[in-house]
Amino acid sequence: MEVLSPYKEATDVILEAGGEPLKLCYQCGLCTGICPWNLVRSFLVRRIMHEAQLGAVDFGSEDVWTCVTCRACVQRCPRGVEIIDVMRAIRRAVAGLGIGVVPDALRISAKNIAGVGNPLGEAPEKRNDWAKDLGVKKFASGTKILYFPCCVPSYDPDVKAVSRSTATIFNKLGIDYGLIGTEAKCCGEAIRKAGHEDTFQSLAQNNINLFTSNGVKTVVVSSPHCYHTFKNEYPELGGKFEVVHITQYLASLIDEGKLKLSKKINKKVIYSDPCYLGRHNEIYDEPRKILQSIPGVELIEFPDARENGLCCGGGGGRIWMDTPKGERFSDIRVEQAVGKGADIIAIACPYCFLNYRDSVLSMGKAETMQVKDIAELVAEAIG
Amino acid sequence: MEEIRIGVYICHCGFNIAGVVNVEEVAKYAATLPSVVISREYRYMCSDPGQDLIKNDIKKLGLNRVVVASCSPRMHEPTFRKAVADGGLNPYLYEHANIREHCSWVHDDKELATKKAKDLVRAAVKRVYRHEPLVVKEAPLNPNVLVVGGGIAGMQAALDIANGQNKVYLVERDPSIGGHMIQLDRTFPTLDCSECILTPKMSDVGHHPFIELFTYSEVEEVSGSIGNFKIKVRKKARHIDESKCIGCNVCEEKCPWKTDSEFEMGLAKRKAVYIPFAQAIPHLAVVDPNLCAYIKSDGKKCGACIKVCEAQAITPETLLKQTDQIVEFDVGTIIVATGYDQFDPSVIPQYGYGKYDNVLTGLHFERMTCAAGPTGGKILLKDGREPERIALVHCVGSRDQNYHEYCSRVCCMYALKYAHLAKELSKADVYQFYIDMRCFGEGYEEFYKRCSEEGVNFIRGKVAKITDEALSDEEKGKLVVISEDTLLGKLVRVPVDMVILCSALEARSDAENVARIFNLNRRADGFFLERHVKLDPVATPTDGIFIAGCCEGPRDIPDTVAQAEATAAKALSLISKGTITTEAAVSTVDESICHGCGRCEEICAFHAPKVASKNGTLVSSINETLCKGCGACAVVCPTGAISIKHFTQDEILAEVAALTEVS
Amino acid sequence: MAEFEPQIVAFCCNWCTYAAADLAGTSRVHYPPNVRIVRVMCSSMVNPLYVLKAFEGGADGVLVAGCHHSDCHYIDGPVKCDATVDKLRKVLHVLGLEDERLRRELVAASEGVVFARIIKEMVEQLKKIGPSPFKVKTEALA
Repeated sequence: MEVLSPYKEATDVILEAGGEPLKLCYQCGLCTGICPWNLVRSFLVRRIMHEAQLGAVDFGSEDVWTCVTCRACVQRCPRGVEIIDVMRAIRRAVAGLGIGVVPDALRISAKNIAGVGNPLGEAPEKRNDWAKDLGVKKFASGTKILYFPCCVPSYDPDVKAVSRSTATIFNKLGIDYGLIGTEAKCCGEAIRKAGHEDTFQSLAQNNINLFTSNGVKTVVVSSPHCYHTFKNEYPELGGKFEVVHITQYLASLIDEGKLKLSKKINKKVIYSDPCYLGRHNEIYDEPRKILQSIPGVELIEFPDARENGLCCGGGGGRIWMDTPKGERFSDIRVEQAVGKGADIIAIACPYCFLNYRDSVLSMGKAETMQVKDIAELVAEAIG
Repeated sequence: MEEIRIGVYICHCGFNIAGVVNVEEVAKYAATLPSVVISREYRYMCSDPGQDLIKNDIKKLGLNRVVVASCSPRMHEPTFRKAVADGGLNPYLYEHANIREHCSWVHDDKELATKKAKDLVRAAVKRVYRHEPLVVKEAPLNPNVLVVGGGIAGMQAALDIANGQNKVYLVERDPSIGGHMIQLDRTFPTLDCSECILTPKMSDVGHHPFIELFTYSEVEEVSGSIGNFKIKVRKKARHIDESKCIGCNVCEEKCPWKTDSEFEMGLAKRKAVYIPFAQAIPHLAVVDPNLCAYIKSDGKKCGACIKVCEAQAITPETLLKQTDQIVEFDVGTIIVATGYDQFDPSVIPQYGYGKYDNVLTGLHFERMTCAAGPTGGKILLKDGREPERIALVHCVGSRDQNYHEYCSRVCCMYALKYAHLAKELSKADVYQFYIDMRCFGEGYEEFYKRCSEEGVNFIRGKVAKITDEALSDEEKGKLVVISEDTLLGKLVRVPVDMVILCSALEARSDAENVARIFNLNRRADGFFLERHVKLDPVATPTDGIFIAGCCEGPRDIPDTVAQAEATAAKALSLISKGTITTEAAVSTVDESICHGCGRCEEICAFHAPKVASKNGTLVSSINETLCKGCGACAVVCPTGAISIKHFTQDEILAEVAALTEVS
Repeated sequence: MAEFEPQIVAFCCNWCTYAAADLAGTSRVHYPPNVRIVRVMCSSMVNPLYVLKAFEGGADGVLVAGCHHSDCHYIDGPVKCDATVDKLRKVLHVLGLEDERLRRELVAASEGVVFARIIKEMVEQLKKIGPSPFKVKTEALA
């Protein structure tokens, strides 16, 4: 019989890497019951917590990299255990100390981020090329707003639609905004969750210095992941500026009567809450408000929306890792959207964009189901 | 005049004070103050060796004033007064500085806390310098007792006290006594029928010559203090003539207006005029004014009950004219036993309570298994079928920091009881979802074993979700309970027909108001706070007021009864002594200055000052047994003839001056 | 120059507010150390002279606190105290002391958190309005 003896050193490694909250876990298993992975395959969150408590984590297991950091478990944990912190700590132990295996796909993205400052491995000097023909100015001291689109909308040919739509809206409304120089790098939110703490620290320092030296006061972001780290993690490292998600910004423009949507979009639109906008930062109403302001749009809801919204599967660094068909949360979501009779899945996160785009294509639904960022819909409706 | 010789003692209270306040520095500082003969610091002043320090110093150094700086005077002033008295001094030649509750426990800046401690000690020294010896007197204690709450706790306390031939006023908010316990079917682990063991007690309470029962009534106001509380009770209008109603129930039969019965948890209806349940004490009808058409239409509609009431207990007069009454009486002690509320699980949307018909709470199940209940003791689904599978979900709202962090202590056991009853009363399989089984009481573990033998399925895991979305044929038309089986390390989906949510016990929704009325403290979880969690579990910070049962936190019936009896013992020991020591710090009149203007007489709430002619001039004098020492008379006295012993103007001005002095 | 730290004298009734301050202690609810409490049996015991004495001594603020009106140990002490404080305010006005320097509060024994909040608020407010004019004069003379 296999005998386990608690391995305190392993527990200490996890605790030192920020896994302190695991001490609170009383093994009720609610996290497992809530975790979306168990819709598609077994993933025992509770067991990982207990293994960590006893120093019995299998650092070589793929389970180390499974958590999508969607926060559904943390939100309801009866002991308030910050489970994501524990998962991150285990990953840090693997990535930092080399005591396990980092999946290949993640390793490549991590290398790209550390090397060229974006996960796609694209040339840094091309970061702002998406805006070439739009006449967007470079951010200078005194410019009111910095628009920071995230790496994916900066480089990905499809997702560029998000950044381009945003610039179009801003141009039409005459908003005083600019883009930061191409020295900017990935925000680092996801690579940090994937355990690469040193990389995150250097990215954050780079961006903070860049923003500070340019006199940035307000940043509008397209990605909830940028939003999360700018708002909740950068301040501890000295980066203090106002952070506004594009949906918050557009909703406030609607409130102030500055943004008027006149062109009809006669479609049934279903909105998928991004985990980092919703559960992580409790922004649920603004995206819905914008969609409801578009004439013709019939806004419908997923069976599990808002606090209970299902993750697209792209958080915690999973966006760079391959998820086999049959285990993709976004596939479930697309099916639900079809079931609800939606024409458009509206999203507000570049990672959701990528995952839903892939699901719609691989499921052969591209003819009947569109995936659109809220900024795209606004740009259309602004007329 | 004798030389004033002050001893000052600074307590470390272990690290409680010394961890923040530099006690050595404070003691050194105190030694420099005028008239201070000795200044010491000691680890625990309240310990015997600590008190001996004071006693010895009084004898050896000839101290005639003592200051201790330690915890709150509300905690240990009596201790040190006694030590001073044991040392041979008048106990009032003592002053207390609070450097724990008011200093080390609320500040973390060591330097500023030490400075504050010095200021407080300096003020105490200045004050004690001016203290005079006082004599404590005794006053009679009103032997009558107020018991608030007619559940098992209140009834038990009332009976114990009344059986000793002491008058008890028992005030219950509902139309009948009985509390939550009378709603229960059987009680764990003995499976006694709750009704069978409780109704005799209810009847005893109802007929006891020493118990005056106020049901459908609430205490509105309490004033006064131990020995002499003044109570105001609002007796709500029942809209019937209580002296004539014979409880025949014909009115309820004929009344056409229905609503959910509170007693039956909505599983049955009651009428606009009703007797809450068959064994209700008092067995009187009550009219729900929000439902009665006659009352709502101001006598224009219905009136069915008036026509059928042969006893003429219900008349247009009682329905339309009867109003709430305010009853006033005096008592010496008070027992608060106001019970608990059941946690409303609809705030956990994932459990579907309120959404799915067959997701119920414990109290629903109690009514269902009760032979006299709305289903005649049958466990039935909403559509009348018998369930094939029942799930019991533990820790609903308990042990969960999103709702209540505490363990509700009774749910494990009542869940086992339900499992047993489900097996006894139906053919259903039972699945019990628990996190930890807590079966700590007498016979509890044995009951757990018995249920295991009966074939209950135990699944260790906190339920994540209850849904009617079927993933297989087996799940169709069922409620699916989703949880991790943490012992198997597998996610399980259990299709069942009925789910019982073992809901937490929580503080009454109006506990804040009750706390205000009776001057009680509450814990962060909302329940009333005992004076000391281990050593004074039924007393409260207010002398003469005691708490029993679930108003103090979740507990089972045996613990509740034991606590109720403890409060009765507390009250009885006060009654048996018969007196309370009256305030020595009372008003006094300097007759040479008094003009006899009578302002003191006007302002006093206790009629203590009386102006009368003495040797041909009008002067005021104070009845010291009536005077409570509030000091209001001294403030309004235009000549300054009145002062309060121990709180003289001279003393307080000296204290204030010392506090504002820059040290 | 060090930040101005206001000095507060608080007259607290034994049964409610003093107990509330005790509860703040037992529940470790922290508040600034600028306050010194004088225990009185009832808020109706507070003589206007005591408050004036505190200001004369250099206090920047005075708190007179006791039971809620329905909780009084002595039936109606708070009403009497209210009357005293009302009269006192007029005197303070004549003396040129700002209204905010004298605060009257009802704090029940169960309201430890409320007591701590009041002290915090007072300290903040007094920091804003600055040292008592009496204090400035006394210091100038010295």
